[in-house]
Amino acid sequence: MAEMHAEGGADFDLSQFYQIFFEEAGENLDQMEQILLDLSLENADDEELNGIFRCAHSIKGGAATFGFADVAELTHHMESLLDKLRRHELTPVPEMVDVLLESADASRSLLARHQAGEQGEAPSTADLVRRISELASGRVPEAPAERPEPKPPAAAAPAVQTPPVASEPAPAAASGERELMVRVGPLEDLSSADVIKELFRDIPGLGTIADAASEDASCRNFQVTTSASNDDLLDLFAFHVAKEQVRISVLAGGDIAAASDTTEEVPYGFFPDAPGSPGAAAPTRAAQAAAAESPTPAAHKATPAKAADAKGGAQAHVESTTIRVAVNKVDQLINLVGELVITQAMLAQNSRDLDTAVYQQLLAGLADLDRNTRDLQESVMSIRMIPMSIVFSRFPRMLRDLANKLGKKVDLVTLGEATELDKGLVEKITDPLTHLVRNSGDHGIEMPAERLAKGKPEHGTITLSASHQGGSIVIEVKDDGRGLSREKILRKARERGMDVSDQMPDADVWQLIFAPGFSTADVVTDVSGRGVGLDVVKKNIAALNGSVEVDSSEGYGMRVAVRLPLTLAIMDGMSVGVGDEVYILPLSSVVESFQVNNDDVNTVAQGSRLVKVRDEYMPVIAMEKIFQIPRDSSEKSSNIMVVVESDGSRIALLVDELLGQHQVVVKNLESNYRKVPNVSGATILGDGKVALILDTSSMVRRARH
Amino acid sequence: MNINEKSGATTSPGAREYLTFRLGKEEYGIDILKVQEIRGYEPPTRIAHSPEFIKGVVNLRGTIVPIVDMRIRFNCETANYDAFTVVIILSLRDRVVGIVVDSVSDVMEIAPENIQAAPDIESSIDSGCIFGLGSVNERMLILLDIEKLMSNADMGLATAE
Repeated sequence: MAEMHAEGGADFDLSQFYQIFFEEAGENLDQMEQILLDLSLENADDEELNGIFRCAHSIKGGAATFGFADVAELTHHMESLLDKLRRHELTPVPEMVDVLLESADASRSLLARHQAGEQGEAPSTADLVRRISELASGRVPEAPAERPEPKPPAAAAPAVQTPPVASEPAPAAASGERELMVRVGPLEDLSSADVIKELFRDIPGLGTIADAASEDASCRNFQVTTSASNDDLLDLFAFHVAKEQVRISVLAGGDIAAASDTTEEVPYGFFPDAPGSPGAAAPTRAAQAAAAESPTPAAHKATPAKAADAKGGAQAHVESTTIRVAVNKVDQLINLVGELVITQAMLAQNSRDLDTAVYQQLLAGLADLDRNTRDLQESVMSIRMIPMSIVFSRFPRMLRDLANKLGKKVDLVTLGEATELDKGLVEKITDPLTHLVRNSGDHGIEMPAERLAKGKPEHGTITLSASHQGGSIVIEVKDDGRGLSREKILRKARERGMDVSDQMPDADVWQLIFAPGFSTADVVTDVSGRGVGLDVVKKNIAALNGSVEVDSSEGYGMRVAVRLPLTLAIMDGMSVGVGDEVYILPLSSVVESFQVNNDDVNTVAQGSRLVKVRDEYMPVIAMEKIFQIPRDSSEKSSNIMVVVESDGSRIALLVDELLGQHQVVVKNLESNYRKVPNVSGATILGDGKVALILDTSSMVRRARH
Repeated sequence: MNINEKSGATTSPGAREYLTFRLGKEEYGIDILKVQEIRGYEPPTRIAHSPEFIKGVVNLRGTIVPIVDMRIRFNCETANYDAFTVVIILSLRDRVVGIVVDSVSDVMEIAPENIQAAPDIESSIDSGCIFGLGSVNERMLILLDIEKLMSNADMGLATAE
């Protein structure tokens, strides 16, 4: 991770995030302990197992990002065990809970040591790791005290005890080759399962794959010979099918089968609380004791490590400068401030006609109130804003693993990590971004030899950048790989019967890759994969009121820019009046507005009306009609058109008047009522009344189809 | 309004308190625990394509709350909006809803023995939404299961599409 940055040349100091990581890791460990203690072994709840797994996974991810290899290694082993548990490949036994709890303690003391600035001796985790891996392979390990060697090679030692019958497949395992049965499904579209076969063809050294009979029509079975681990395979397959849909089992008595044979032969052992157990647990207890400031018998074993632990613990209390608050509390605060802003606006409106000479003080006070509420609103909104670095920080590691797996060389450069974004958006943007980065790494960047042959540097570069542009944030994923091939996309589109022409502008051609099902994976390998799931990426981003732009040059790379509003809670709106009612249009979708002449409106089949705007005919939607707006006076009528664009299509809305532009706080209509056609939400106007926000994209869709 | 006129006097085990209100000449009661607050009527924002009895939505301190006119829902002859028209804000299990009634009269405690099962009657609402008839001093109270009434599909409050 650290070297990734060095290579990428990004000047980025991770240490500023250490404190956040330590706090989060502490919370995750607490949570994990809590669930572990409540876990009922007989019928372990999937949700609980997943919860523990998530905790371990988060700590591992963070630790790896920050370069705490010892913590990452330990939690990685915990995670492997937990993964098997949650996939029901293993059934939980008390020993697992014990070892996991001890590992949690060990992680805690390791973290405390890192927090104290690497002082003192690190507690050894080798024994814990060994016991976890034994449990993970289905064995119940012996108690550490009974084992003569302190660091047995985890896999090899127990293999000796394997009876001769089971040892038959062992040579295969030793050479690394395993015979596996991979079951994929159930899937709606089996073609994505077939793509897995191409993985084996494309990635040298991965192994061989052959079709196997499947009793279920919605599933595919494959017989695989490979030296890769199950985890590596799953990660690779994850490009094409969800991990949950893949089951890997060992054929011909592989190591799992062998392991289960030995289970009965190894006696159950009891661990730990004995003084003979190495390191990990004791210092923690000492640290806890020290934190409680009550010397216990454990303290007499004081070593430099323990002293450092205690110091780390004490520091953590002093340095805790952040508090974690439930999001709904923040939202409530935002709501209240929104109310205050409305009240303030009402006061301002009512005081407008007052005589400034008489009410000078009152008016000065109101002016102060105005400024203070604005400041308050801004600060409250900023609580929800978090820096992009939180999202970006996950990519170096992911890309490094991916590059290693694919045998590519990739540098990651990140720019604009300090750019802030609404927390709700950050959560929703992470998955689409991960997909884009993975796509770039997997399909954009070429193999090193291919790059050299093209006269490019051996290392491909993927650039992630975030910046504010106007009222939106732009996140770019850029690579210097193959780029998109115009001809191939057009050819593929024609094969699929899409309406394309050679004269299409590049931008339109690139948008084709976002078409649903435009999976180019089964096409020409040059662009292979550029399209897998991209329609989902685009849909998710569109759901956030964002847009995706693609720019590419064949042979030189590709750039995907995601444009998002800064926050979901506030939107720039344009208010329009129809009859006595007020509606809000999202300003981002408004193209232009004009007074309409009767000559410009034509009818088709005496019904639908079309208007000609700058040589383009577009459907006219009369607001009065679709919202059944009552009219008091028959003289007044709508004669202003607002052109609205969504997904590249335009319609003209017929309204009475344009009232103005302002920022509106978006409120959910569905929480107490229900979804209303053509309405995306509601907001509260300056006078306290509710106005509906139009769902322009659904209006455009309805009018166009 | 003689709020809590009976409280303390006739406390019997299992007795519950009901907020009573009038719709035309009929008197109804609903579980007081479902009532969040009572406010005056303010014209709501109309919502297109909604049933006639849904008057629209109002802003209740930052929350968007739909307003149901019970008088239209229960086919009352008149549904005037004047200074005395009252909105009862209900806090139901999964939503907040306002109902418009002619007037709110009382909070009454009614013991279970004073509640009879409602006879099967022909009415504009599902008779399952009436869980009993309470008798208090010769007056008949129609006790509504407001939760059930509001979550009924023909109320059009839940997402029907």
